[in-house]
Amino acid sequence: MKYKSLAIIWLLALISAIGVASSAPRTRRATEPAVYSSAEADAMRLEGEKRFRANCNRCHAAPHKFPPRMMATIVRHMRVRATITDDDMRYILYYMTQ
Amino acid sequence: MSYFWIKAGLRRWPRVVLPASAGLFLLLCFTPGLAACQSSDGEKAIPILTGTAGYFNFVTAGQNQVDAQINPVLLVPLGDRWLVESRAEFEGAFQRPPDGGSYGGMVSKNLDYLQADYIANTYLTVTMGRFLTPFGIFNERLYPIWIRSLQQDPLILPLSAESSDGMMLRGGFPVNAKVNLNYAAYVSAVSSGHNNLESDRNVGGRMGIFLPGPRVEVGASWQKLLQDERTHSFGFHFAWQPMRFPLNIHSEYARSNQGSGYWIDGAYRLSQVLFWQKALRRLEFAGRAEQFFNGQISSDEAQALGLPAANTREGEFGLNYYLHDGLKAVASYGRQFSSAGNLNLWTVGIAYRFAVPLGRVGSQ
Repeated sequence: MKYKSLAIIWLLALISAIGVASSAPRTRRATEPAVYSSAEADAMRLEGEKRFRANCNRCHAAPHKFPPRMMATIVRHMRVRATITDDDMRYILYYMTQ
Repeated sequence: MSYFWIKAGLRRWPRVVLPASAGLFLLLCFTPGLAACQSSDGEKAIPILTGTAGYFNFVTAGQNQVDAQINPVLLVPLGDRWLVESRAEFEGAFQRPPDGGSYGGMVSKNLDYLQADYIANTYLTVTMGRFLTPFGIFNERLYPIWIRSLQQDPLILPLSAESSDGMMLRGGFPVNAKVNLNYAAYVSAVSSGHNNLESDRNVGGRMGIFLPGPRVEVGASWQKLLQDERTHSFGFHFAWQPMRFPLNIHSEYARSNQGSGYWIDGAYRLSQVLFWQKALRRLEFAGRAEQFFNGQISSDEAQALGLPAANTREGEFGLNYYLHDGLKAVASYGRQFSSAGNLNLWTVGIAYRFAVPLGRVGSQ
């Protein structure tokens, strides 16, 4: 029985490792420093606010905006905790740091 | 044939399979190509000390309990894809003895989670260590005192282990433009009865579907205990945030051999009221209805687990006033109906969320 549970753990570990290995390196992402036109920036803020309301407000009231480097940590934490999608996380981070 | 192969493999597990799979795991995780993965953060993340602090008076059937607690959360990002996070819980619950005298009681200390998260890709995050058990939504998402709309725990909360020690795979990704899928699958390998680090050996998972348009989430959870009576638990959860009203509705159902039950709560923020806006937009009404049904365990066992000793119904209504970002005053009244006796539940208190950077906050 002990071996069975160990087997399950290692099976999960292997599946995750395969998942890691199969992930393709990505090019520049939305929140990396980039120059946006005013219209693009407005659109991103609006989309970020919409996604913030849909994802974050489901559980808690809107916090005030923290400095960007703090916000990067908080959003990473919330991505794991609330299983927020990659896209949602990037838009929310943009909205919360602008 | 395959059965014998598996059996033989399991028997040789410690000597052959373990080192081989460990090697493969490390090889896959640290191949040079993966180092090319870029940050998902535009700004370099810094460590943060955050958490909550609260002071409450819980009056249950006329007996006052003073509750003071602090729950620090440490977040340490490492590189672009790692996060080490931990939450501890220090809670003092003090009561006056029935025959009079000064308040006295215990200060409990718990390590809720201490986990390392590796964000592997869009679909997968690998978590190792001690983590909050992803069963339903309350334990993982709504538990912190600055988030929950009512401070009393739901009656069914003890039906699943609050923390597990082992490994978890989880993630959330869009299936299409209208549907997001989220999942978590875990194995808890450690059975510990230590006061501050309780956990069971179990395996389980949760899956949810979130519709961003109507802002509806539904999901199901399952858990199998790998010790003692090897029982199953399962549950369902629901969350809805209507577009037109500042209303939040959450609900859970759970069932195990220890009992079953449900709760549904709603919180309505008065942000749309047209008069006294400055004051009323900070006010929130909250209500909860819940029911618990006894399982196949004795009332003594149920009480030891934190469950009601008899079938119980409860209704609660409360007011939350947001004094400042992260600081709210709370008050609520509830009535519990049970064959063991009906009682009133009063709560008054204050909850605060703090966040302190542990690094330079200026631009990188």
